[in-house]
Amino acid sequence: MRVVGAERDGLAPCEGPEGEASEVEVTLVSPVAPGDRVLVHAGVALALLAAEAAA
Amino acid sequence: VRFVDEFRDPELGRALAGEILGAVEPGRHYKLMEVCGGHTHSIYKYGVDDLLPANVELVHGPGCPVCVIPMGRVDDGIAIAEQPGVIFTCFGDMMRIPGSERTLLEAKAEGADVRMVYSPLDALRIARENPDRDVVFYAIGFETTAPSTALTLTRAKAEGIRNFLCMCNHVTIVPPLRALLDSPDLRLDGFIGPGHVATVVGARPFEFIPAEYGKPCVIAGFEPLDILQAIRMILLQLRAGRREVENQYTRVVPYEGNLRALRAMAEVFALRPHFEWRGLGFIGQSALRLSDAYRDFDAELRYEVPGVRVADPKACQCGEVLKGVIKPFECKVFGTACTPERPIGTCMVSSEGACAAYYNFGRFAREREVV
Repeated sequence: MRVVGAERDGLAPCEGPEGEASEVEVTLVSPVAPGDRVLVHAGVALALLAAEAAA
Repeated sequence: VRFVDEFRDPELGRALAGEILGAVEPGRHYKLMEVCGGHTHSIYKYGVDDLLPANVELVHGPGCPVCVIPMGRVDDGIAIAEQPGVIFTCFGDMMRIPGSERTLLEAKAEGADVRMVYSPLDALRIARENPDRDVVFYAIGFETTAPSTALTLTRAKAEGIRNFLCMCNHVTIVPPLRALLDSPDLRLDGFIGPGHVATVVGARPFEFIPAEYGKPCVIAGFEPLDILQAIRMILLQLRAGRREVENQYTRVVPYEGNLRALRAMAEVFALRPHFEWRGLGFIGQSALRLSDAYRDFDAELRYEVPGVRVADPKACQCGEVLKGVIKPFECKVFGTACTPERPIGTCMVSSEGACAAYYNFGRFAREREVV
């Protein structure tokens, strides 16, 4: 999913490939910024996709 | 979509299939196990196995979270769900897993307040909204899902939420792999390692596979090209006489895993001395319970559960499917008495189950054509 808003209290608004919005727990990959791509499983971002892969 | 389309390119897929064909030794039969149910699903969804030479056989492993839950644990969940005042939450697949008499969905139809959630955080939200009722989350899954449960419990503790409880059925991937490697039934040549579990635990925990059992393991992503590339990497290792852990999924998996996730899990969970796996029996130190620091959140300590071991139905061969000993269509009830609409066994319920993957993508009994 793509981070679309600022991180607050370990949560950040994210958007899936079909535009679906959800609040994702980002504590494990923090800090994140809008535009970052994260791998989300059961509501939790487990990995930040490598910047060179995202380029 | 970026990160997806490039990994589904049919031209590249054909090129990889050609390289795989070039990497096999004629006359040798290769048995590779994809550990994770997510891989099983992708392989049949995209027809990855149709691109493989006839002597490369994929064997489906035990890595489908709902498939490995034994019937007795479903009964225990239903017992908690039927306690007065309890709101019982679980993932959707779990609601359809047969217990000895009923599923959670049937218990819901009879009046239990069972609700489907997409994440434990949703269950915690329900607990906040219903402070006068106990909200129990039925936690399942491997190390991919366990961090989510751990972080939710950390949050519940920090917020002082007293009515959120967890019935913990989290399992770990390494002990069943060891059990499979020790079993005389299977002679495997290599492993396609579980990419998303490795996101959390890293690649290191799989080093015992080459070190102690002399077999290659390649951690792989979930798109068709990821899987083809991993197969090629395993075959090249075998050909060159190398035996090591390689990481195909570097865009997501760091070799050392996610240390914050591992720390959260270490704080919230403790190893159970043993746990029953469907089809695999009891495996030592293969599952997690809540740690003593989190005992107030343990649903099994607040509520009494039967804790009775229930044998699988005689007709069901999920155990052999989970061990990779038989293919789904070799099960007596596959596609007849057992279908995704009316499953007898767990492997037909989850989209990650091998039987559901075969059934949904039209893989009924058939011989593979020689490529």
